[in-house]
Amino acid sequence: MRSQAMFFQRRSGEALADARLRRNLDGLRDKFVGMRARAVSAYADHGTATVPNPDFEALRDAGAAIRDRVLKDLDVWLELFEHKATQRGARVHWAKDGREICEHVLAIARQHGITKVIKSKSMLSEEAQLNVALTAAGIEPVETDLGEYILQISGNEPPSHILAPAAHKNLDEVADLFAEKHGKPKKTEIPALTREAREVLREHFLSAGMGISGGNFLIADTGSVALVTNEGNGRMVTTLPKVHVVITGIEKIVPTLEDFATLMRLLPRSATGQEISNYVSVCTGTKGEADADGPEHTYFILVDNGRAGLVGSEFQEMLRCIRCGACMNHCPVYQTVGGHAYGWVYPGPMGSVLTSLYTGLENALDLPHAATLCNQCGVVCPVRIPLAELQRKLREKQTERRLRPWTERAALGIWAWVAQRPALYALAAKLGVRYLRWLADGQNYIKVLGLAPGWTAGRDFPAPQEGTFRELYKRRQENRT
Amino acid sequence: MTSRNDILARVRANLGVAAESDAAAAERRQRALATLAARSEGPRPRISGDLAQRFADKSMAMASTLARVATLAQVPSAVAAYLAGLALPSRAVCWPAFAALDWREAGLDIAARPAHGDDLVGITGCFCAIAETGTLMLASGPDTAATTSLLPETHIAIVPQSRIMPVMEAGFALLRAEQGDDLPRAVNFVSGPSRTGDIEQTIVLGAHGPYRVHLILVTGA
Repeated sequence: MRSQAMFFQRRSGEALADARLRRNLDGLRDKFVGMRARAVSAYADHGTATVPNPDFEALRDAGAAIRDRVLKDLDVWLELFEHKATQRGARVHWAKDGREICEHVLAIARQHGITKVIKSKSMLSEEAQLNVALTAAGIEPVETDLGEYILQISGNEPPSHILAPAAHKNLDEVADLFAEKHGKPKKTEIPALTREAREVLREHFLSAGMGISGGNFLIADTGSVALVTNEGNGRMVTTLPKVHVVITGIEKIVPTLEDFATLMRLLPRSATGQEISNYVSVCTGTKGEADADGPEHTYFILVDNGRAGLVGSEFQEMLRCIRCGACMNHCPVYQTVGGHAYGWVYPGPMGSVLTSLYTGLENALDLPHAATLCNQCGVVCPVRIPLAELQRKLREKQTERRLRPWTERAALGIWAWVAQRPALYALAAKLGVRYLRWLADGQNYIKVLGLAPGWTAGRDFPAPQEGTFRELYKRRQENRT
Repeated sequence: MTSRNDILARVRANLGVAAESDAAAAERRQRALATLAARSEGPRPRISGDLAQRFADKSMAMASTLARVATLAQVPSAVAAYLAGLALPSRAVCWPAFAALDWREAGLDIAARPAHGDDLVGITGCFCAIAETGTLMLASGPDTAATTSLLPETHIAIVPQSRIMPVMEAGFALLRAEQGDDLPRAVNFVSGPSRTGDIEQTIVLGAHGPYRVHLILVTGA
């Protein structure tokens, strides 16, 4: 999808003003955060909800080490994977960017005479705007993850969460949408809506000639792709159509099935608080001659689209990411503004970093600043990506490349000049505090900040209680003696 | 091929190995091959005590139901009792391995073929089961259709108690021991009925796959 990340300020402002979205996000936060906490404390029957579980911490170390081992020799692992996957009967293609992804997919579809494609979730196909390309070529793409399907029939809305793409919509909105698009009486219960979608999508599963999936992991030792789903659409897409296309980033490789098993102890717990997801499929090669089912043709499209640029850089740790969504679930900024404000495929802390690095620092100026640097994201990341640190580094890069607006640079310049002159600084602080107290007019909070009214559009500004820090400190010293 | 070479060249340049000697390249390759050969296992929960009990507890935590029988011959009547209890149809499809069981005696109409989109009950075995998470491990093949555990609204799986492994790693090791290093086309791990939380993060059973998974643990097999 085309990035809208440069409009973060406006879009987050709109999100803040949307009371329904705020309520939907509150529900999301409570569920995801609570479920992960319970799963982590229960791991190996150890730990409590508030004290870090030592066994789970060891697991996080192991997960990070597995990912680092691959990234350190990524070229070697890619070749090993390519060799094994090819030996097992799959075709391996490579794509530098979204355009090449679309070219490969369209060529494969044409070769096999495909008119309809069923898709299980692939964030890379969002990066590539693949559905647009398929539709333009006269091929019908059908999203089958329930959340993605809801968004597709809702005028191709972008996802707002990598696990729960339609997290910004509530039951009522989905019910209205289904009634309108399916032409059936409106249902008000979630199970009935889910069954309605199941029946619509079942027809597509049984009639599509090609399935497209992402890949949670590529396994070098066996040449396999691993898919993790709860709905079972991943199994459908890899079992029923005669052609299966896997679109996945070059960083997704893990060496062995044993490494995969370790990461599978981290991923579901971090994502949805499950000990395991309902369906974990390890798919290798094509249908054997006597096999009862499976695709006759399997293709891998290994995608760069900015990833190779992170290899060996100070941002390489970002490539460990296993797309669990824990960072956004725990992020106070994401919890407040939701996923759409971030403007591209990936929201939350991992999205702020990836959008900046994949679409260009200058196209996502606000995203590294959409963080309090509280590091909740880093604390919950299953592969220990230092997300707050990476966001701070991105801020540094912006400053180094003089990408910050002139007003901000001028303000910081003035501040630096004043801060080096203690007497002047004291005077300025004194005047500032007086001004804020005058604005507060006896209240604890300032409703509208005179010089920066935007800051108080969605929140109040705490008023200073007394004088400046120096004044308070001085008074305290006097009281002591 | 140019994209392939461009991407690999970029990776190598950024890793600082674009101009490495043949010996250095060989050494990195050896390091990777050694990792593959070692197949080292990571941390895992302690799985102690009775594997079958752990499997039963964990599978029920994933919303499967479970019944125990002593022998394979008792499976048809257990299946019939389960289906009757939920007023489900007595017609089903099963894997060929179970075609010879006396289904008719139990009042069931069972066809030994892969499931189609409109079959309501599918009966499978499993390659093995995983106690850690209460999971079925299914390996695709000529006689183990993947659709049978996927398309019907009700999936019934027959689990020999001797095939319960502690963890996923043990399942993979068993697969290598019995079928060689190359994986079958699909290895599917199934833990309970399909579900979705995509509307208001409210879990609903029966998304695209089965609404119900019923396990029949055969204690003497």
